[in-house]
Amino acid sequence: MFSFLVRRFLQAGLVLLIVGFVAFSMFNFVGDPIDNMLGQEASQADIERLRSVLGLDQPFVVQYWKFLINALDGNFGISYRQGRPVAEIIAERAPATLELAAVSGLFAITGGIVLGIFTAIRREGFLANFIMTVSLIGVSLPTFLIGILLIYLFSVELDWLPSFGRGEVVDIGGWSTGFLTASGLKALILPSITLGLFQMTLIMRLVRSEMLEVLRQDYIRFARARGLSERAINFRHALKNTLVPVITVTGLQLGSIIAFAIITETVFQWPGVGLLFINAVQFVDIPVMAAYLILISVMFVAINLLVDVLYVAIDPRLRS
Amino acid sequence: MKKSIVAIAMALMATQSVNAETFRWAGKTDPQTMDPHAVNSAPVIGFLNNVYEGLMRRDRDMRIEGALATRWEPIGAKGWRFFLREGVKFQDGSDFTADDVVFSYERATKPQSDVSSWFATVTDVKKVDDFTVDFYTSAPNPIFPDTITNFMIMDQGWSEANNAATPAKETENYATRNANGTGAFKVVERQPDLKTVLEPHTGWWGEVEHNITRAEYTPIQNPATAVAALLSGEVDMVNPVPTQDVSRLSNSADVKVLEGIEARVIMFGFANQAETLKYTADAGKPNPFRDPRVRKAVNHAINVDAIVQTIMRGSAQPVSQLVSSTMRGYSTSLAARPEYNLDKARSLLAEAGYADGFSFGLKCPNNRYINDEAVCQAAVGMLAQIGLKAELEAMPVSNYWSELRANNFDMYLLGWSPGSFDAEHPIRFLVTTPNPEKKLGSWNFGAFSNARVDELLPQIQSEIDDTKRQAMLDESAKILQDEAGYVPMYVQALLWGARKKVELVQRADNFFILRWVTVK
Repeated sequence: MFSFLVRRFLQAGLVLLIVGFVAFSMFNFVGDPIDNMLGQEASQADIERLRSVLGLDQPFVVQYWKFLINALDGNFGISYRQGRPVAEIIAERAPATLELAAVSGLFAITGGIVLGIFTAIRREGFLANFIMTVSLIGVSLPTFLIGILLIYLFSVELDWLPSFGRGEVVDIGGWSTGFLTASGLKALILPSITLGLFQMTLIMRLVRSEMLEVLRQDYIRFARARGLSERAINFRHALKNTLVPVITVTGLQLGSIIAFAIITETVFQWPGVGLLFINAVQFVDIPVMAAYLILISVMFVAINLLVDVLYVAIDPRLRS
Repeated sequence: MKKSIVAIAMALMATQSVNAETFRWAGKTDPQTMDPHAVNSAPVIGFLNNVYEGLMRRDRDMRIEGALATRWEPIGAKGWRFFLREGVKFQDGSDFTADDVVFSYERATKPQSDVSSWFATVTDVKKVDDFTVDFYTSAPNPIFPDTITNFMIMDQGWSEANNAATPAKETENYATRNANGTGAFKVVERQPDLKTVLEPHTGWWGEVEHNITRAEYTPIQNPATAVAALLSGEVDMVNPVPTQDVSRLSNSADVKVLEGIEARVIMFGFANQAETLKYTADAGKPNPFRDPRVRKAVNHAINVDAIVQTIMRGSAQPVSQLVSSTMRGYSTSLAARPEYNLDKARSLLAEAGYADGFSFGLKCPNNRYINDEAVCQAAVGMLAQIGLKAELEAMPVSNYWSELRANNFDMYLLGWSPGSFDAEHPIRFLVTTPNPEKKLGSWNFGAFSNARVDELLPQIQSEIDDTKRQAMLDESAKILQDEAGYVPMYVQALLWGARKKVELVQRADNFFILRWVTVK
């Protein structure tokens, strides 16, 4: 077990190194931050001065090495755009993304399971078929379009919900939360639906097909024969057996909810790390881009590591 | 029961009137700093014009009027003397004096400053007394006051006490997120990228024309979201409005669109000097754009009216020179654009020996100017009619300038907004022969060069007599048009959207000035 863990950790470290290397080699193609930092009247001397101050005149391998050394120290550099430490900016922005991810994850799981069960039990019903058809929209429409449609319906036409931002937030020990104010909660609704819709339809379809599969099993038939109520069969026996693969997929999807919040955050001007990243790409803010990519890859590596460890813990055959 | 209903109704009315006075507006980008000397970009300088003030300022029609200086006069040919306004208070309550002007000049000319080019000709600044300051220049500089209208004055005591006596560019200092100007509004809350809150400066020297008690700025970078926020009334004003939303917003009952002409001229430039073409199958062949006849042919082949009507949906104005008609030094005698005439273009090409045309590479940004890539695509089609096969490569602006600096183009698209609102500005940056030591021609990527223009520029810069100066500007503009060093096409439009209850002024430099806003 111990040697397995050590091996996995080493592999995880290697993945992070490679992600960083690929990221830095790509930054050369994203563009030149100098033009964004200086006005149009800047002279060639100003440009060169800034380039050398930022170390951009060095080859990317050297830039990468310096980044690594500093990152090991917990220092992710200074944002080109804001002039503030990147770690501070990300810490400031993370609560917005995490709260959005949590709410949309919750929406996706509850919505997906409830609708999945419903469409599985009422397989032939009109409503179930209707839901299945509509769910195709959730899978196939791009996120930004769903976001804009929701904004036009609920903000412009009906005037119920805000079209952008987080509303009022309350600061608790450096964590800004939107859960405690009415406007903060209202502001969460549209972005959460936009971000969670794809995952919800995914989970719903997964639950439905698993459920249909389980309902065909012999033990369900025996349960019916024993005269158990339909409710007990569906929820106590069938649902429980359905959830195993659902939980695996859901765990893996959680990472992508955070990583793919970028588009939703851009549409709703949601002040999270995804929007920060988009701004950084446009401005060629290399320290912010690098820190974000490393952070996201740490998250994915951690989730995968956890899954691997759990598998070993669950399945004795993998331990040998 | 009745009482409580009345109370609720009154409370509702009260909140509504508070809302009416809290003014919310949105733009595409956040001003990246509150330091008026650290970044010379329109979002920063435009925003800070509400908080800080210069010696002069521009009025609704871009004319110069006194701000922190009440009047100014040339000191013979040696420079300019500014007489400062007395009794002006900074937002922290300290007094404004000549020391603050000298301090701000020193701060703005440090290497970390991004605005030092405004003072390129200044040799010395001297305080004469508490309310008189002299700026000495190396040569007579008639447009010096025009050049420094955005040179904003900071408080020496405040800056030094907060370790902000030097602008911060790569890092931040106290002045990055805090401000202490003399302007009509003070910054009360600053959350970078989220919102910036302004409140009126109660000790402001000027006469208050606005009725704002609180103003909130939020960046909304997705244009569709910004338009939705305007329609739903969550913001009172947005800048810019996408061209395709103009007609829909104009038809809305609560919203209006303000349309004006910006200072930015959109033009095509050429590799004027390169020996050979760099792109397409013709790469390596002699460069036809060295021949003015070929460049003139391009000028005749571009149907600017069609571009303005279809791609810009009418929101632009054709232009014949590098500045728009509202700028100082515009040449009225050259107001007509070379006509759209394909036969003329073809015969010019034939004269130059390219009757069969040629192919070349056209570089274009795709997120810098309004509909930039679409304009280039249209130009490709128009040039094909005279046998010029352009291969278009469009790219994001962060890659674009380094590509142009590396001379990787045969022809390219460029927009230029003269920072001093004077026709001298584009000549200095785009038309004179590039000379890094003298800081000339730094955006003249194609290295257009004309000895007469080079000779005229220093004279234009130092000529006090307006008529003589205009004659020289006309001559330069004429040379540029005859040589077709650039093909100026149109001036971009300013498109702002606002709630109907908001009265505001749209100034040609795209600055949004809060002190002219009233909310009904």
